[in-house]
Amino acid sequence: MPVIDISHRKKFLAKGNVYLPHIVVIEKIIDETPTVRTFHFNFKDEKLRKEFTFESGQFAEFSVFGIGEAPFCISSSPTRSGHLEFAVQRVGRVTNALHRLGVGAEIGCRGPYGNSFPLDFLQSKNLVFIAGGIGLAPLRALIWNVIDNRDKYKNIDIIYGARSPADLCFRYDLDSWNKDKTVNIVTTVDKGDESWTGREGFVPQVLEQVAPSATKAVAIVCGPPIMIRFTFPVLEKLGFTPKQVITTLEKRMKCGIGKCGRCNIGNLYVCRDGPVFSYAQIKNFISSEY
Amino acid sequence: MTKKINKRDIGKLLTQWNQEFAIFVPSKEGDTTKMTSWDGKDVSFLDWYRNTVIPPKASFFPPLEEMFHFQKNKGSYDLELPASDGQKKLIFGIRPCDAKALAILDMIFKDAYEDPYYLSKRENTVLVGLGCTNPYDSCFCTSLGSNPSDSANVDIMLTDIGDQFLMEAITDKGKSLIANTSGLDDATEADEARAKEAQETSYRKVTKRVDTKDIEERLLSCFEDQDYWEKVTAKCISCGICTFLCPTCYCFDINDELVKRQGVRFRSWDSCALPIYTKMPMENPREEKWQRVRQKVCHKYEFYPMNFDVIACTGCGRCIRQCPVNWDITQILASLPVKV
Ligand code: SF4
Ligand code: SF4
Ligand code: FES
Repeated sequence: MPVIDISHRKKFLAKGNVYLPHIVVIEKIIDETPTVRTFHFNFKDEKLRKEFTFESGQFAEFSVFGIGEAPFCISSSPTRSGHLEFAVQRVGRVTNALHRLGVGAEIGCRGPYGNSFPLDFLQSKNLVFIAGGIGLAPLRALIWNVIDNRDKYKNIDIIYGARSPADLCFRYDLDSWNKDKTVNIVTTVDKGDESWTGREGFVPQVLEQVAPSATKAVAIVCGPPIMIRFTFPVLEKLGFTPKQVITTLEKRMKCGIGKCGRCNIGNLYVCRDGPVFSYAQIKNFISSEY
Repeated sequence: MTKKINKRDIGKLLTQWNQEFAIFVPSKEGDTTKMTSWDGKDVSFLDWYRNTVIPPKASFFPPLEEMFHFQKNKGSYDLELPASDGQKKLIFGIRPCDAKALAILDMIFKDAYEDPYYLSKRENTVLVGLGCTNPYDSCFCTSLGSNPSDSANVDIMLTDIGDQFLMEAITDKGKSLIANTSGLDDATEADEARAKEAQETSYRKVTKRVDTKDIEERLLSCFEDQDYWEKVTAKCISCGICTFLCPTCYCFDINDELVKRQGVRFRSWDSCALPIYTKMPMENPREEKWQRVRQKVCHKYEFYPMNFDVIACTGCGRCIRQCPVNWDITQILASLPVKV
């Protein structure tokens, strides 16, 4: 039998019908880019507000009733309570419907689902975050978590890229990380405009230039599949072993709990066994199925 | 506790069971056949039934099923689960391969999160199996650890011994049902000997084979062999029949309908043979037909065994019989270009 480590697979305890969403209320909307919005939300039920817990890296299924459901990672950090956040790029039916909603709107939410970033494994390591576009959303749930427990981790490098300056998400985060002396951040765009004074170039190229050391380091990668595909070989060149590379993946999902079948990579289901994987787990299948 | 019953008394038996259970029997419906609610008299299926085109999974995992409905009031929503009919059901005549398929489906629907829709129906249902005397050329259950008389996954098992059926209680559910059933005779040693002989004869009638030895490793070793997969899937027209009608396929889609202020969320059968199944706004990991057929084959013979330790194919042969272009999964498995 091919050996794939599935020891991280969790046994979930769900109460009642797992497919029945909770009602959450949108409290604030932030325009990140022309096509990306962040929604701050809270449970309608007071009790759930207190009881709901999640870990960095987990996602939930959000629904606009009458339109449908879609999965989004929880983009806020569990270290910062008060409200929860998720970011949505307008690309299809459900995401368009979400973008039409205003503050106060009620939507459905079930979760949290999936595994999370392996905090124990990351402790006392140098962390290299590599993100493209809206791929920063799941990573910021971890980056803020790490910053809020700063002494548990060593160096923090962040390499973040977007197609153009207008496509950079979470600028307010980028600003605070730029000011934070314990964080090295490099921002790049594929193509700048007149006012852009920063770097130009694709994320994998910039990664090669920045060349973070692989010693006692873990790279955490999230972005569009094309970026992920080109980033892995660069990391390998820099000396990162497949176990030192962690990624969080996106697939078309429906159920979010490993039943409806569509989000698999080999025998692993992104919704149930992921979305966080080490490159070692998926490298057999990634070349042609991701 | 082995009993027997005359074939001409099956109607009476079903009438008796009908007091407690809704009975489902093999039925013709238009051009197709499936398990449907018994009309209280017709037992002619005993003459024509080999296996249903639509697998019995449809009784537990319907092609279209309400998950919940909701009402919109101003900007608020009230959600409500569908009422369960609470009705106990009995499926009469399920084939061993299809009963095994349900045991395979149980694993995925119980895994991690329990699927309440499937499991509640499953718990409420008694399976009365009927051994095959006339397997199809396309059946290959004996290659997958089962056989035409396999009683492993039913509550009660029937074996054709001429004018009668031998009737064995397999589970506690089956035992208590038989104990409470009148009009059954005790089986004699001679009956049991006849049943054994009939079972051996049926076993020999299944002649199609697949070699499942090291199948996971063999599939993994040629996973990236695009030329091979393109070649063996060239004639597939991506209709999805082989997945919709497969008794172990369970993929589904989830969608909403909202008319005025009344809405419903429902799920419906979906298929890995269809490109939209994995389509994302910017990419599709299985855009090409060969990738999708590869997924079907590997899911059954490589991935499902890795996760649940059982091959998710029972050898029922439906995908071979019903494919409009005569695609044959056993030929694929026999011709893998294994690289070791
Ligand atoms: S039934 Fe035949 S043609 Fe249809 S998807 Fe399956 S293999 Fe392809
Ligand atoms: S793959 Fe084909 S033979 Fe196997 S269980 Fe499904 S329909 Fe039957
Ligand atoms: S989203 Fe349904 S199996 Fe992963």
